[in-house]
Amino acid sequence: MTKFSRFAATATTAIVAACAAGAVMAADIFVVGGKPDDPFWSRVKLGAEEAGKVAEAQGGSVTWLGPQNYDNLGPDAAELIRQAIDQGADAIVGPDWVPEAMDPAFEAVVAAGIPLVIYNAGGLEAADRLGALNYVGAVDYKSGFAGGEYLGNAGHKNGACVNTLPGAANIEAFCSGFNDGIASVGGTGSVLQLPATAFGDATAVAQAVRAHLLQNPDIDAMFAIGDADTNATVSGIAQAGKTGSVHVCGMNFNDSILANIQAGTQDCAIDQQGYQQGFFAVSILNNFVNYGVTIPTREILTGPGVIDAANVELVMEGVKAGAR
Amino acid sequence: MEPKTGAKGISLGSLARRPETGSLIGFVVVYIFFAALGGKVFMSAPGWSSWLNIAAEVGIIALPVGLLMISGEFDMSVGSVIPASSMMAAILSGHYELPAIVGILGGLSVGLLVGFVNGLIVTRTTIPSLIVTIGVMFAVMGMTLGLAVMIKGSTSVSYVPDPLTKSILGQFINGMFNVSIFWWLGFVAVFFYFLHISPIGNWVFALGGDRESARNAGIPTDKLTIGLFMMSGFNAAFVGIAQVMTYQSAQVAGGQSFIFNSIMCVVIGGVLLTGGAGSVVGILLGTMTFAVVNQGIYFAALDPNIGSIIIGALLLAAVLSNDSFRALAMNYATKKK
Amino acid sequence: MDLIANLLRRPAAASILSLIGVLVFYVVFGGVELGKLANAASWLNYAARIGIVALPVGLLMISGEIDISIGAMIPAGAMTTAIISGYYDLPIIFGIIGALTIGVLVGLFNGILAVRTTVPTLIITLGTLVAMQGVVLAGSKLLTGAASVPLTSPAWAKTLFGDFIFGGSHQVIIIWWVILAVIFWFVMHMSKFGNWIFAIGGDKVSARNAGIPVDRITILLFVLTSTAASFVGMCHAILFNSAQVSGGMNDIFNIIVSVVVGGVLLTGGFGSIAGVFIGTLTFAIVNKGIDFTAIDRNWANLIIGVMLLIAVAMNESFRKMALSYSPKPKK
Repeated sequence: MTKFSRFAATATTAIVAACAAGAVMAADIFVVGGKPDDPFWSRVKLGAEEAGKVAEAQGGSVTWLGPQNYDNLGPDAAELIRQAIDQGADAIVGPDWVPEAMDPAFEAVVAAGIPLVIYNAGGLEAADRLGALNYVGAVDYKSGFAGGEYLGNAGHKNGACVNTLPGAANIEAFCSGFNDGIASVGGTGSVLQLPATAFGDATAVAQAVRAHLLQNPDIDAMFAIGDADTNATVSGIAQAGKTGSVHVCGMNFNDSILANIQAGTQDCAIDQQGYQQGFFAVSILNNFVNYGVTIPTREILTGPGVIDAANVELVMEGVKAGAR
Repeated sequence: MEPKTGAKGISLGSLARRPETGSLIGFVVVYIFFAALGGKVFMSAPGWSSWLNIAAEVGIIALPVGLLMISGEFDMSVGSVIPASSMMAAILSGHYELPAIVGILGGLSVGLLVGFVNGLIVTRTTIPSLIVTIGVMFAVMGMTLGLAVMIKGSTSVSYVPDPLTKSILGQFINGMFNVSIFWWLGFVAVFFYFLHISPIGNWVFALGGDRESARNAGIPTDKLTIGLFMMSGFNAAFVGIAQVMTYQSAQVAGGQSFIFNSIMCVVIGGVLLTGGAGSVVGILLGTMTFAVVNQGIYFAALDPNIGSIIIGALLLAAVLSNDSFRALAMNYATKKK
Repeated sequence: MDLIANLLRRPAAASILSLIGVLVFYVVFGGVELGKLANAASWLNYAARIGIVALPVGLLMISGEIDISIGAMIPAGAMTTAIISGYYDLPIIFGIIGALTIGVLVGLFNGILAVRTTVPTLIITLGTLVAMQGVVLAGSKLLTGAASVPLTSPAWAKTLFGDFIFGGSHQVIIIWWVILAVIFWFVMHMSKFGNWIFAIGGDKVSARNAGIPVDRITILLFVLTSTAASFVGMCHAILFNSAQVSGGMNDIFNIIVSVVVGGVLLTGGFGSIAGVFIGTLTFAIVNKGIDFTAIDRNWANLIIGVMLLIAVAMNESFRKMALSYSPKPKK
């Protein structure tokens, strides 16, 4: 008993000391990401904030910076990165969405001696080019590729990628990945472009998909670039009377996507695991700033993970917690 | 085609002077254009349902927005009421698992409340409705996001409605015609009665013509304005709820496109934007034209962005023809007197 | 004359109060350190971006009109520059001239329609907004096959339009904004044009009867708004080495909100350049300042909306005070 209490006392002292030490080197980490009302990014934000609890316990903080809208994606994100420098960040996490616009801002981060992790978009090439510690995330092209390959392997050879945000580099990468993926197993892919005003309007997406299918009856596979779009695509296919003959995969998911997969109206969802992106990027930086420890594994891939009928139940547990 | 009947039996001269005539011509021209490019599929049932589904949603909102414009006001807040009401419905019925009717009523009351606030501010102050409703739009947008994240911890809430609710609000008849098309036609009938048959309709026109003299003539202008704003809130909320029932999930973002789309339908439909003139049939035709362009573009295998150019051109054409029609109508009226 | 001077000062006074109110709110409820905020560039950059457009929009609104096609003109200016000088590799000067020409042309189109028809300009410019969105998107797809075009500009263009100043992250367009504000202030409050614009906004018919060239001024104002928008787009393309097509719907609201918070009366005849300037600053601080607070960003739009309504209500009561002896305040 006395032994234990002595041990406990020592342990407590150690923890207090550790915390005190942490407080001295507290890391104020700034995370640049998507709009807060974007379903995918709200999960990345949650991951970053939960990893931030460790930083907060050590006296640091995590601040999320996201644009008001996606109208001016590259420049707005570049602005936010510079804003993070101005706000006195000890470490910065950012996605390299539009390299031409954003690379100079990332270079300014590195030039200011602030540790940087690139996440979500850009890949290891961007991290190496810019001098970032690491890259955490899925590779957009590979995510699209996985979707194309999955559908192609299942015997659906004529695919179309529904692009609701033409111009955004990551979305274009999903689609070119999808087309190459389906081509790699002997199929062909094309892109259905929607006007930029259709983004976020489920009915517009559903009706566009439906019209496209009616006009191109050969298509038997579709790929959507986000969870809301996937839902709308599934509905569009149903309205074209093609449920079961046109197969769908989509980026990201939410509980209605999972219900689709369970019901068989959707074949698969490609998971970038946004929670992991936020969580690991912040953890890596927090540990680096506080203790100088690094992760030698470069390019930490959080995706693509494929969710289909085989593993859908497992995923549903994570959704309940808001982490997936 | 039912809308044509509204104009039947009227002499050619007065037909040309009706504000709907321009929109009818616009609709026919656009339809023939896309039918020629889109071929059989566009003219068959799947093609019709395709643009009717689009028309129904924007059309339900365009009706009260058009009435507001006839009375000389704008409502930008519809763009934020759609996600707000669908979130409310999904949170009540999906997250808290209350009966569907509670969610529906909750969602609709969000719309009514926002409309009431709009109307109250517009009538109590001299701030133009454009500005008031932009302010309310931002506020409702922020509230929807903040509360959704607070309650659900996520920006999308899913809700699987029971079969009865789904069949009333979110079913595809024949697998392609969204049930909201019938709601839309119902709303058209109600609004037609309201604007053109009931005595209150004249009040709306009087309000847009000259508010001061309308008030002096004993019209309860404030109550009427608040009522009109509540209508547009209600209809936007209705569309939001129908979207939840159809797509089984509610998103915080979205709905923004309805703000200008609904105004465009109304303008193409020949409502004179200076207030005081317009018709429900015109709004109906304008909405149909808008939807045909929006959907036809996919059947015609054109770059979808060309659709925006066509809609912009149509809008300007409508604007110009509005003017010449009005000049014609006024000439006629002065000659008669 | 005394009365006019009074009226002019009032709107700016109200917008200063809004600015102070927002700062106090952020300091008290958000724990903002003012020093940190003052040093940061983000809100100033943002203010300059919308402010350059807000200035002519303010003038236009004082004259009783509105232009929402600016939302499409910012990306249009950026894409024109990037396509001409990036994709086709012509000297940057052609890109700059091209962007400004597009602005002038669209402005002329809007302006001529505005004076030739009786249709409200909100609707006319809604038409050009949608049409220009389509032209920009379809055009860039047609010409370049992509929706995002990279651009490398020579040093002089960067220095003039797209560089960072003060050795930090302040953008050079801040200087443009300040210069333009001074010019606009001079034109509006020191020259006869200003009086003309107020007169047009007050009563178009009597302005015309008084011999003011109403039509030409209106067209000129529309040219100014859309050229200012394409100018901002061009600067951004040069600064960020690329341009992407986009809808630009949100900028419309942001700019109108800034102008209105600055005390300009939407129905015309009332407002000031100082007010618009401060209104833009206020909006930028609300929008970007929230990142410096402990408030969750999720609530940003709620704060913007409430601030707008309060600021407008405040402007209203100030104006009423100013007009209290006049028989009926104009609606």
